[in-house]
Amino acid sequence: MTVVLDGISKSFGNTPVLHGLDINVEEGEFMVLLGASGSGKSTALRMIAGLESTTAGKVFIDGRDVTEVLPKNRNVAMVFQSYALYPHKTVAENIGYPLKVRKLPKADIEEQVRDVAGQVQLLELLERYPRQLSGGQRQRVALARAMVRRPAVFLMDEPLSNLDAKLRGHMRTELKRMQHNLGITTIYVTHDQVEAMTLADRVAILEGGKLMQLAPPKDIYNDPANLFVAQFIGSPPMNLLEGSLAPGLFTCSDVAIPVNNSARVAQATLGVRPEDCSVVAPDAGQMNATIYATELLGDHTLVTATVGDSIVTVKAAKDYEAALDTPIGIAIESAALYLFDRTGERLR
Amino acid sequence: MSWFESQKLGEMAPGTKVIIYSLLWFWAFVVVFPLYWVVITSFKLPVHVSDGPDFLPFIDYQPSLHAWKYIFIDLGSDTFRPYLNSVIIASISTVFAMIFGSMAAYALARLHFQPRLISIVLFLIALGLAAYAAISFGVDWRLALALGIAVFFFLVRALQRVPSPRLGNGDILFWVISQRILPPIVAALPIYIMFQQLHILDTHFAIILTYITVNLPIVVWLMYDFFVSIPRDIEESAGLDGASKIRIFFEMALPLAKPGLAATSLLVLILSWNEYLLALFLSTAKAQTIPLLVAAQNATRGPQWWYMSVLIIIMIVPVVLLTILLQRLISKGLLLGAVKG
Repeated sequence: MTVVLDGISKSFGNTPVLHGLDINVEEGEFMVLLGASGSGKSTALRMIAGLESTTAGKVFIDGRDVTEVLPKNRNVAMVFQSYALYPHKTVAENIGYPLKVRKLPKADIEEQVRDVAGQVQLLELLERYPRQLSGGQRQRVALARAMVRRPAVFLMDEPLSNLDAKLRGHMRTELKRMQHNLGITTIYVTHDQVEAMTLADRVAILEGGKLMQLAPPKDIYNDPANLFVAQFIGSPPMNLLEGSLAPGLFTCSDVAIPVNNSARVAQATLGVRPEDCSVVAPDAGQMNATIYATELLGDHTLVTATVGDSIVTVKAAKDYEAALDTPIGIAIESAALYLFDRTGERLR
Repeated sequence: MSWFESQKLGEMAPGTKVIIYSLLWFWAFVVVFPLYWVVITSFKLPVHVSDGPDFLPFIDYQPSLHAWKYIFIDLGSDTFRPYLNSVIIASISTVFAMIFGSMAAYALARLHFQPRLISIVLFLIALGLAAYAAISFGVDWRLALALGIAVFFFLVRALQRVPSPRLGNGDILFWVISQRILPPIVAALPIYIMFQQLHILDTHFAIILTYITVNLPIVVWLMYDFFVSIPRDIEESAGLDGASKIRIFFEMALPLAKPGLAATSLLVLILSWNEYLLALFLSTAKAQTIPLLVAAQNATRGPQWWYMSVLIIIMIVPVVLLTILLQRLISKGLLLGAVKG
């Protein structure tokens, strides 16, 4: 089923948290809403669920205007960050609750609960209570409860953030596989860019209640629409240099870098990702720098260097070694440069 | 070592231990001794009481079943009727106070009310006018009440567009608990006159109604805290699973507030069971409750301590049993495993 947010806004009292958000989620798509805390991503999700009213705008699910429809009549299932299991009910009762509310016959409920529990490996635990389960098991109960009634849309509010790192990685894979198998439209909220990049068909990046960019993960990474997205995605983050742009040349303090842009801008920002830089001999690259620190991270070495007043991070080979304060040159792939104007918009 | 860190008794210095144990024993004595005194007094003849103080049965005096016989056989139905009245009145009023009170508390905890201040002022004015008409001009109270309600609705509609500050849930909650700030004696006389007019004095119904009313604020106030502490996620999740508000209340909120329900209903039951003042006003014979019977033992012949003791014992026993029974429910940890881990 499709989900359409048509210019939805939300204010809590006089505090606006969402400003006219437009998002189209396609049939069967895995859409991730990514943003820092306070970006309005959870509010947007809760508005789709019907747990928050809209101040302005409309929400459509499967073409039907559900803006004024109660949560229980929207046919959406939600997995909460806290899981929100029913503590006084067993795992089986938890999973079967949506069916019980729909007055399905007992035998049907039992059959479907067992079926779903099998899919998430909970069959052994059906008679337990939530308090007797581990974090990962609780998470799977919450998933099973959402899956059992085959909703029009899955809504997930940071479902993995309470798991430890290893389990989170595992569940991420499982979640992706499960969504693929079920083919149910999913809207997933997270502040974790790795989750967003790995899970999503498309990512919507939110900041301050506004949509910054809506694109597939690959485009978000390779073709950021603005400075915010460029900074937000990527770890370590993109290197940024403040300077000015003349046709074909970016200059900042004592560095001049040829760029493929004919605009003339007094205040511009140049961005380049650490993996698109390489350490070379002094004067051999586009800029000269001094090593500030090196960090071996296993598969690569992170070299932090100072260029004038700025700091540039370079992803070097894992066997790279150099003493601190060594002068080096930094070479940049000219195709991998990003330019932004003073307001943070991309200069193309 | 900090004052506020809890310590195990076994790990304390011997001196501290002695002091703590003697304080505990002293306080246990203060609490238990009156009960002991009541029990032994119930087995005394009047002469043992007036000769007293005798504390050791079989040594100081010969125990006698005289008082027990009098209460259970000589008085017989005059004991059992008030006892049964108390059971009926306390249990029914507790059940209804719990039902209405927890529903109100839940509504206050989960819904946003914004009554207009002006509507409340209008309501008070209409009520005042109705009372004035009934008292000063002898208008039939039913007519006055109906007119008052009509005037209220008319004014509310007429002044719909007049801007007015709004009150919130906190104000309502405070108003509810403020009903308990009023000393009951202030309300006792008006309630008496009201029920006299309705010709329902000395009935179970009148006392039950009164007890529900006076206990509602306590139920609302206590249950509010229990409902507020239930994670919202659980109820929102149930809502998304398809449950209606009323279903969420009965299937999620109430079961999760079980410890609160047990504790609050026990408190309310004890308050109703022990209530004396209002029962004194509202009953004469038929609906008399057991506290009145206890008090009646201090009559023209002076306090009949031995009869009183028997009555006190049979009055305490059911409450003690119930407390032991409900204690298991008033344990924490029910919400464990609901959210996070």
